[in-house]
Amino acid sequence: MQPILSVHNLNKYYGNQVGCKNMNLTLYPGEVVGVVGESGSGKTTFINSISGNLIPDSGKILIETGNETIDFLEISESLKRLLIRTELAFVHQNPRDGLRLDVSAGGNISERLMSIGQRNYGNIRQTIFKWLDKVEIDKSRVDDFPRTFSGGMLQRLQIAKNLVTSPKIIFMDEPTGGLDVSVQAKILDLLRKLVRELNLSVVIVSHDLAVIRLLADKIIVMKNGEAVESGLCDQVLDDPQHSYTQLLVSSVLQV
Amino acid sequence: MIELNKITKKFTLHNQGKTNILVFNNLNLKINPGEIVALTGPSGVGKSSILKMIYGNYVFQSGQIKINNHNIDHKYPRNIIELRKNIIGYVSQFLRVIPRVPTIEIVMEPLLEINSDQDEVREKAEKILLKLNIHKNLWNLSPLTFSGGEQQRVNVARGLIRNYPCLLLDEPTASLDSVNKDIVLNLINEKKDKGSSIIGIFHDEYSRKYLKAREIDITKISDAK
Repeated sequence: MQPILSVHNLNKYYGNQVGCKNMNLTLYPGEVVGVVGESGSGKTTFINSISGNLIPDSGKILIETGNETIDFLEISESLKRLLIRTELAFVHQNPRDGLRLDVSAGGNISERLMSIGQRNYGNIRQTIFKWLDKVEIDKSRVDDFPRTFSGGMLQRLQIAKNLVTSPKIIFMDEPTGGLDVSVQAKILDLLRKLVRELNLSVVIVSHDLAVIRLLADKIIVMKNGEAVESGLCDQVLDDPQHSYTQLLVSSVLQV
Repeated sequence: MIELNKITKKFTLHNQGKTNILVFNNLNLKINPGEIVALTGPSGVGKSSILKMIYGNYVFQSGQIKINNHNIDHKYPRNIIELRKNIIGYVSQFLRVIPRVPTIEIVMEPLLEINSDQDEVREKAEKILLKLNIHKNLWNLSPLTFSGGEQQRVNVARGLIRNYPCLLLDEPTASLDSVNKDIVLNLINEKKDKGSSIIGIFHDEYSRKYLKAREIDITKISDAK
């Protein structure tokens, strides 16, 4: 099997300040990779740099589409934007960053569909209902504005909006970050189901090790912009080798 | 077949004075298909550590672990993920699940990895839950509020719903009453008869004898302790 996404020696600096340095990642179809580390460790810079939100200073990002390998940093801007609308998706920590609040819930979901050329109202409407159902939002809310939604509903709507075009690679930055724990559990369950049903490949950033343990197959531990340890998720959490990972794991409060 | 050859395992606690703890030195062990091995020895001797090394949760410093001739190598996490999907099953001591997910779905999950027929998988999950005396009323509830014994049986159901060629069992009967204990032991025996290589930790003599397990005292197969 070929990795669907591979990142080689990626660097991103802000002036002299390190954003992230020497980062590598291999993501296979159906796999979830978690990126953890304390705030300021470069997690978000990394995920933004590999998803097209930021332009890295150097490195290589290869995306396998099935019939060709795309060098993400070398392709034209228009092809890049097409990829971002179709094959890639980005779920923000704050759903308000990923949604249009003055457009109805259904309108938010249909945006990506229309951007890839779907015009048949009936088909689009049907797809919207299918996705509302998948993320457990009542159909009757389809024409409501997102601003009338709760935090958990907004996050589920953002997930539907992103997944509607069946992207192959999903980037998530703290998707359960601002949610209370009961809503968080529901989103985690939803994400796990979607990963399995749709064979999604996911890169997820979180500072919450418990979230990563439940979702991720592999993990990258970052500190000061660099990966200090990476590997199989439960191995790195159960038997951490690097002193920083040991500190991180032993700092988690037990309930 | 599970094989451990000349395994050295140590823990280095960087933040606690760089303490080194040598757990195993020159550990050798082999479990054949259709065989059950029971690890014995006092608490803290590393029984669970052996299971965790085989499952890939713990790294080892030298030696070789082979599962049906596939190497467990932490440099290639993808291979371990594939092995877990297809070859190694693990019944851990404690249930670790996403809150609010119904019991039936937790039990179905491992089988859904290889079979996408929801109805067929659900039927199998219901069958094993019934066999393990988990009442129908509980199937749509999260197991997190269940009693210790019920949680353990859900964990067993999840681990045994598939026929893995290699099976790791960490105290699968520890908090069960005698009736349910026998049910779980019979299920394990069925897996043995189907040719699984099984290695486990069973706290009581009764379970080990019932399973006709080959008992291995860890202190006798490693130089470390």
